[in-house]
Amino acid sequence: MSKFTDIELDPAIVRRAAGGDIRAHEIIYRAFSPPVYSICLRFTRVPAHAEDLLQETFMEVIRSISGFRGEAPVGAWIRRIAVSKALMFLRSAWHSRGQSLDDDWDDRPAGRCEESESRPDDTIDLDAALANLPPASRAVVWLHDVEGFTHKEIAALMGKTESFSKSQLSRAYRRLRPMLEAGTAERAQPVGSAATLLGSC
Amino acid sequence: MSPDREKPGSDASGEQDETMNCGLGIAERNRLHRRLRNLPDTVPPRVVWQRIEAQARAEGLLKRSGRRPFGWLYGAGLAAASLLAALLIPFHGTEDEVFPTVPPYSEQVRHVNLTTLNALMVQSRELEQDLRALPEQPQLVRAGTAATIAGLEDQIAAIDFRLNQESPAMTPEQTELYWRERVRLMNLLVQLRAAQAQRNTF
Repeated sequence: MSKFTDIELDPAIVRRAAGGDIRAHEIIYRAFSPPVYSICLRFTRVPAHAEDLLQETFMEVIRSISGFRGEAPVGAWIRRIAVSKALMFLRSAWHSRGQSLDDDWDDRPAGRCEESESRPDDTIDLDAALANLPPASRAVVWLHDVEGFTHKEIAALMGKTESFSKSQLSRAYRRLRPMLEAGTAERAQPVGSAATLLGSC
Repeated sequence: MSPDREKPGSDASGEQDETMNCGLGIAERNRLHRRLRNLPDTVPPRVVWQRIEAQARAEGLLKRSGRRPFGWLYGAGLAAASLLAALLIPFHGTEDEVFPTVPPYSEQVRHVNLTTLNALMVQSRELEQDLRALPEQPQLVRAGTAATIAGLEDQIAAIDFRLNQESPAMTPEQTELYWRERVRLMNLLVQLRAAQAQRNTF
């Protein structure tokens, strides 16, 4: 389950927010700003951009909540807005850099997961490994594996084909795989297991 | 969740999935999913909510809160009504009532009032400076925001008119009330203009 849909919110809060109640909006913000900010930060890797996207997301929530019918959980609705804003940002950034969203694997050296060797914390390792993925691939991994979007949905959100989404995920897995092996090995052999990190992707 | 949701970690797409996932087995995928989901969330800086609230207020998207039943819009209306009453009431009384010869306040009270009054005047002057430091209003402004700004400016102008009359009819307490109201309205105006300027930079 996604963190967004794990958060339960009293429907009365949503109704109050729909009426323009600032305190109700603040409650919604307090509940959902960490996952929204986190997803924006993971997509963009730049805190200032993530803050802007967080602001844009909640401004959209404030503007549109009166039209929210409650057919889906409010968390899923907010997540959709956040993802849409973050992807739009990535598209615009790529566009301004004259790059395409299709593929930017070539400029990223493989084997950077070796860096995680010196980090004792699995969380930091995985975060670092994710950060080293190209933005489109990182977004696909997050949307598919954490937020539970299908390839079809990801393709629609990114304006790409399902094949694009699948291929980005596959390449990301290939890059992340040594780290997974390392995690297993570290658990089995707490000392001297660094060699497993160097396995071929 | 959409109907065609694939369960993470399931082996629904079988052999093809295995190939697509660079040989990741079910256990590895499950482990990856679990670790990804366990990554901690990051709490955003507090200032972001302040920016959102300011922008939403500037766009007129919010109403008064339940915690503050006398919100600023209601307060502005109340102030306008009080001001109107204060402007009109003296003309309904006798000349003696309009120009009282003996101030009804003791020296001690007057001293306290003067101290408060000075503080309010300083505060008001500082707010004027803050307002001047803000960039010019954008040419394209929401009608609601423009109306609110115009309303505030009108109320401040009416107070200034009243204060500049230097009428002896106004007791020190009334003068203080006017200055207090002026500071409150100036505060609102500065906040609104600041939010407008901030929004304009986005």
